[in-house]
Amino acid sequence: MTTDAAPPTTAPRSTPRARRRRGITGYEALGFPTWAYVVFFFVVPLGLVLWYSFGYKPDLFNAHANDVLSLDRYVEALDATFIGTFWNTLRIGVVGTLICLAISVPFAYWLAVKLNPKWRPLALALVLVPFWTNFLVRTLGWQIILSPRGFVSDALQNLGIIDGRLDVLYTAGAVQLGVVYNYLPLMILPLYVAIDRAGPALREASADLGANRWRTLWNVTLPLAAPGIASGCLLVFIPLMGDYITASVLGGAQGNMIGQLVASQFNTAQNWALGSAMAVLLMLFIAGAVAIFGGIALIVRAFVRRARRVDLDVELPGGAS
Amino acid sequence: MSSPSPATAVIADAADATGSVSLRGITKIFGSATAVDSIDLEVRSGEFISLLGPSGCGKTTLLRMIAGFEHPDAGDIVVGGQSVVDLPPHKRPVNTVFQSYALFPHMTVAENVAYGLRQKRVPKSEIAQRVHDSLGLAQMVSFADRKPSTLSGGQQQRVALARALVNRPKVLLLDEPMSALDRKLREEMQIELKLLQKELGITFIFVTHDQQEALSMSDRVVVMQSGSVQQIGSTEDVYLKPANEFVAGFIGKQNFIDASVSGTDALVAADGTFAVSSLPSGAREGSEVRAAIRAEAVHVSAQRPAGGGLEGTLAGISFLGDAIQYVVVTSSGLELIARATPDRAEPLGTGDTVWCSWDASELRVFEAA
Repeated sequence: MTTDAAPPTTAPRSTPRARRRRGITGYEALGFPTWAYVVFFFVVPLGLVLWYSFGYKPDLFNAHANDVLSLDRYVEALDATFIGTFWNTLRIGVVGTLICLAISVPFAYWLAVKLNPKWRPLALALVLVPFWTNFLVRTLGWQIILSPRGFVSDALQNLGIIDGRLDVLYTAGAVQLGVVYNYLPLMILPLYVAIDRAGPALREASADLGANRWRTLWNVTLPLAAPGIASGCLLVFIPLMGDYITASVLGGAQGNMIGQLVASQFNTAQNWALGSAMAVLLMLFIAGAVAIFGGIALIVRAFVRRARRVDLDVELPGGAS
Repeated sequence: MSSPSPATAVIADAADATGSVSLRGITKIFGSATAVDSIDLEVRSGEFISLLGPSGCGKTTLLRMIAGFEHPDAGDIVVGGQSVVDLPPHKRPVNTVFQSYALFPHMTVAENVAYGLRQKRVPKSEIAQRVHDSLGLAQMVSFADRKPSTLSGGQQQRVALARALVNRPKVLLLDEPMSALDRKLREEMQIELKLLQKELGITFIFVTHDQQEALSMSDRVVVMQSGSVQQIGSTEDVYLKPANEFVAGFIGKQNFIDASVSGTDALVAADGTFAVSSLPSGAREGSEVRAAIRAEAVHVSAQRPAGGGLEGTLAGISFLGDAIQYVVVTSSGLELIARATPDRAEPLGTGDTVWCSWDASELRVFEAA
C-alpha cells in the first residue's frame, strides 16, 4: 500500500515508515492540539527553568546568563533560609491538606448522601461560587476579616471572647487559615464525586451484613472514595506548596512560604538563575514529599488488605478447590 | 409448614425463635403517594413466599422495610417473635440478596462473603471455615480470590447468595435477584434456589414481577397491586382460583368476557349464553359481571361442541413451542385467546370458522368493576 518494495511477507501497515505517516496524517493527528499545548506551555517553560538554573546572574542589569554552566546556583539556593522556609511550607501544606480532608470528608458525605437531592445543585454552587472569584481578592477579603481593627475583632471583643485586639493577621496561623479556605473546594469536589458515584446500594449491603454506620464508613465508603481522597490531596497539596499569594497577603514576616522566596528572586532580586534553581529544588522536594506520602498510603493499604484477607487454603488443608 | 393454623405456628416460632415474619398494618407513604397501604402478612418459618406484582406495586418497598432500609409510617414488623421495626438494618436477623447484587468491588469473593462474619467478630479460623462452606453451597469455592468485576452475572449472584447465607439468617430477603440473568440461567437458578431453601429450611421472601418465577418456586404467593395485597394463597390457588379480576389478569393468560347473570347458573354475553358453576355472592338476575377464562382452558374446534360454545373466526395461529396459540374473533368483535398443546391441536387454518368451548368449572366470574 505504501511502498512497492516492501517484502511480501511483511504487512505494509506494520512498517515503521507507514506507522509514522499514519501518526501524522491519520486520526492520531487529532491529538495535535493537546500535545502542542503540553509542549509549548509545559515542556518548553519547564526546560527553560531547568536551563536557567544552570546559569548565573552576570551583572545588575541582566537577570540571567548561560555562557558558563554550573550547579553553583543549587548550592547557593540550599541555604538555611531556604531549608527553614521549606520546612515551614511543608508544615503548612501537610496541616492544610489534613484540615481540608477533615472538613471535606464529612461535608462531601453529607452532600452526596444526606442532603435532599433537590438541594444538591445549590449546595455545590455555594461551594464553587467563591472559587470563581479572583484568588487575590478572596485572600484580601480575609485581610479585612482578620484585621485587628476589623468587625470580627470588634465583635469578639464586645462579646468578651478576646481581651485585646484580634492578633491573627500576619502570622503563620492566618496563612494556614487562608490556604485551607482557598483550596477547600479542590478537596470537596473529587470527594463528593467519589462518594456519590459509589451509590447507596453498597452502604445498604454493608448495613444488611451487620455493619454499623462507622464500620460502613470505614470498610466501604472510604475505601471506595480512596481515588477521590488521593486526587483531592494532590490537588490541594501541590498548588498549596507553591502558593505565594496567600502567604504574601496574610503572612507578613512570620508566615513565609517558599513560593515567596522563588517569586522574590524573579521579581525583586532579578536573579532568574537562582530563582530557577530554587523552583527546580521546590519541584523535586514536592515530588519527594508526594512520593513519601504515597508510599505511606500504600503501606497502610497493604496492612488493611492483610487484615481483611480470608485465606481458605491455609485454614483448610485438603478442603479448598 | 404443616402447622394447623398460622397463629399456632407464630406461637411456636416465638418459643424457639425461628424465622417467622409478621407484618401488621404496614403503611409507607412517599410524599403524596401511598407505596404500601396497611398490609398484613403472616409468613411461616421455613416458608418460601413470593411478593408478586407489577413494578410500582410496593413489593420492593415492603421488602426494604423488612430489611430496615425504609421505616414504615405505620405498623409493626415481627421477625421470629420479636418486633424489629425500630431496629436499624445491621441489628435485624435478616439478610438480603440485592437486585444489583451490591458486591463490594474492592474486596475479593471470599472477603465479600466474610464481611458479615467480620462485623460479628467471629474468630478468624471459623470465618475461613464458614466462608468455605458457604461458597461450597453456591459452588463458587474456586473463585474465592477473584474480584467481583471479573465474574459473570450468574456467578456474582451466587456470591451474593453465599454472602447472605453465611450469616445463617432466619429470614432471607431476595429482591428480584434473577432479573439480570438470561432465561436459561434463570430457570437453572430457580431450581437450585428452591432446593437450597428446602435444604436449609430458611424463610425466603422473594420479590419478583415474573409470575412464572413466583409460581415455580414458592409455597405461597402474595399478589400485590398499588400498595395492597390482592390475594395470598398457594401457587395453585392464585393460578386456578384468582380472588379478583386483577389477579386473574396478572397470572396466566386470561380472556375476559363481559356478560350479565341469567338465573343461577348461566351468563348471557353478546355472543351467546354459557353455563357457570359459581357466581359472586352479590350477583343477582341481570347484574353485570366479568367472566374470566384462562387461555389453556379454551378448547378450539371446527365442530360445534355438544354443550355449545362461542362461534368465531380463527384470526391467527402462532406456534409457541410448548403450545399453539389461537386468536379467535367472535361476531361481536370479542378476541379470545386459546392455547393447546401441539399434540392435542386440531389441524386448523386462519379464516376457518371455529367454536370455542370450555368446562364451566374453569370459568371464574367477578363483579364488574
